[in-house]
Amino acid sequence: MIEFTNLKKSFGEKLVLDGVSHVMETGKTNLIIGTSGSGKTVLQKCLVGLFEPDEGEIIYDGKNFTEMTQDERKLLRQQIGMLFQGSALFDSMTVQDNIKFPLDMFTKDAHAAKIKRVDEVLERVNLVGSNKKFPSEISGGMKKRVGIARAIVLNPKYLFCDEPNSGLDPQTSMLIDKLIAEITKEYNMTTVINTHDMNSVMEIGDNILYMKNGKKEWTGNSKDIIFSDNQGLNEFIFASEFLQDAKNMRKLEAQGKVDQNGDIKK
Amino acid sequence: MNFLSQFGKYILMLKGMFSKPENAKLYWKEFMHQCAEIGVGSLGIVVLISVFMGAVSTVQTSYQLVSPLISKSAIAQIVRDTVILEFAPTLVCIVLAGVIGSKIASELGNMRVSEQIDALEIMGINTKTYLVMPKIVASLITIPMLVVLAMGLGIYGGRLAGSAAGILPVEEFDRGLMENFMPYNVTFALIKAYTFAFIISTISAFFGYYVSGGSLEIGRSSTKSVVVSCVMILLADYALAALLL
Ligand SMILES: Nc1ncnc2c1ncn2[C@@H]1O[C@H](COP(=O)(O)OP(=O)(O)OP(=O)(O)O)[C@@H](O)[C@H]1O
Ligand SMILES: [Mg+2]
Repeated sequence: MIEFTNLKKSFGEKLVLDGVSHVMETGKTNLIIGTSGSGKTVLQKCLVGLFEPDEGEIIYDGKNFTEMTQDERKLLRQQIGMLFQGSALFDSMTVQDNIKFPLDMFTKDAHAAKIKRVDEVLERVNLVGSNKKFPSEISGGMKKRVGIARAIVLNPKYLFCDEPNSGLDPQTSMLIDKLIAEITKEYNMTTVINTHDMNSVMEIGDNILYMKNGKKEWTGNSKDIIFSDNQGLNEFIFASEFLQDAKNMRKLEAQGKVDQNGDIKK
Repeated sequence: MNFLSQFGKYILMLKGMFSKPENAKLYWKEFMHQCAEIGVGSLGIVVLISVFMGAVSTVQTSYQLVSPLISKSAIAQIVRDTVILEFAPTLVCIVLAGVIGSKIASELGNMRVSEQIDALEIMGINTKTYLVMPKIVASLITIPMLVVLAMGLGIYGGRLAGSAAGILPVEEFDRGLMENFMPYNVTFALIKAYTFAFIISTISAFFGYYVSGGSLEIGRSSTKSVVVSCVMILLADYALAALLL
């Protein structure tokens, strides 16, 4: 569980986070959503300490992250996996070495055992056989998946993903979402995902934080979202007419107003 | 004000390097990799410029020494002393500031901009220790070695040019080399080499590590690191000469 209260962060004159508080729950996929530029990345980077918030408190399972020394943070971070918006793969290393790097650094396993673990996570992200490729030789979507593989290779307690499926086709996108949701449940991780992908929101939104103008505007899960009358949220999630229709249908379904054939009851 | 805050950040970066490695083996591997990159990587250019600078100093010294009262072997002495005192340490390090400095700054800058440094930090790795320290230590070890090599090759180049251009025969050059040799000059040159190696590696690491922005900034800060290192080398060169000679 990651709990943060009243987080504030500004860059020069620009106030990006204006007192955000929320609880990211363990064993759930916690989503941060909001329009481009609403401060999702900044919030996530504050949570892991890549940015120092100007104000506010962050608590990791009872441990106050804000007050930790550099060394204490280092220890905690060995339990954190993070996927960056731009993947951030080490471009001097092959896919295999990228994923193996945390194992090399923090475990004393034999080489063969490490390779086995690398193959295991590569299989999870559907990238079997890409071991020897360099990041410059693979597509953006593949980089994302390698990034995820690297983030989960040490079975972290906390997983942060910044837009894990932007730039991916809808099918792969779904696959990645499902994978993240699956491992979250399997290893009882606290997972925080930044996204503005409406499919992710509806499919894996256990606990959603909607940000607007640096503030928490709405919170709930993917079921609540259909019934929300927050106009900003509605316009953001169900941006097209098609999605509006889909939402109304779901709403009717939930209210028992649709028969087995998918027709609206008279 | 800006300079002072930059300088403070530079000192803090150096201080932040001293922490216990998370995994000694990987750090050693990175260190050896940097020795190869920095030392072996600049071997070719050092060989080339040192042979030529020795050759040119022989030719030019003989051109300037027209008096019949001075024996030819004095040319060898002059070549030896200028190569050891100034050319090998200072000139070579100015060139290395370009070669090694821009390499260090752009490598770190690229890692910063593409968030690879952040990715390492998130894993719980002290990137100042893992990325910056090996580059500085590798420079401190390999650059003085390159300077010593440049001394030898510079003198050899002078000897070669002396006979090739018919200025003085090899035997006379060798005799000149033995006359009035002051071992302190070599010590002084090594002090310079260590100082310059520290300047090149720390300044370029600083400019690379703290890049912010995009790929344009990487180019800018690598240029800046070369310029600043060169200026610092020249200032240090003068200061060391005034203090130690
Ligand atoms: N390092 C920085 N320096 C200055 N301003 C920044 C910095 N990082 C982010 N910002 C500003 O903070 C605001 C929020 O940026 P952020 O990257 O968090 O958006 P986001 O919600 O992640 O958007 P996207 O969905 O496009 O990734 C932006 O207006 C941006 O200009
Ligand atoms: Mg973002």
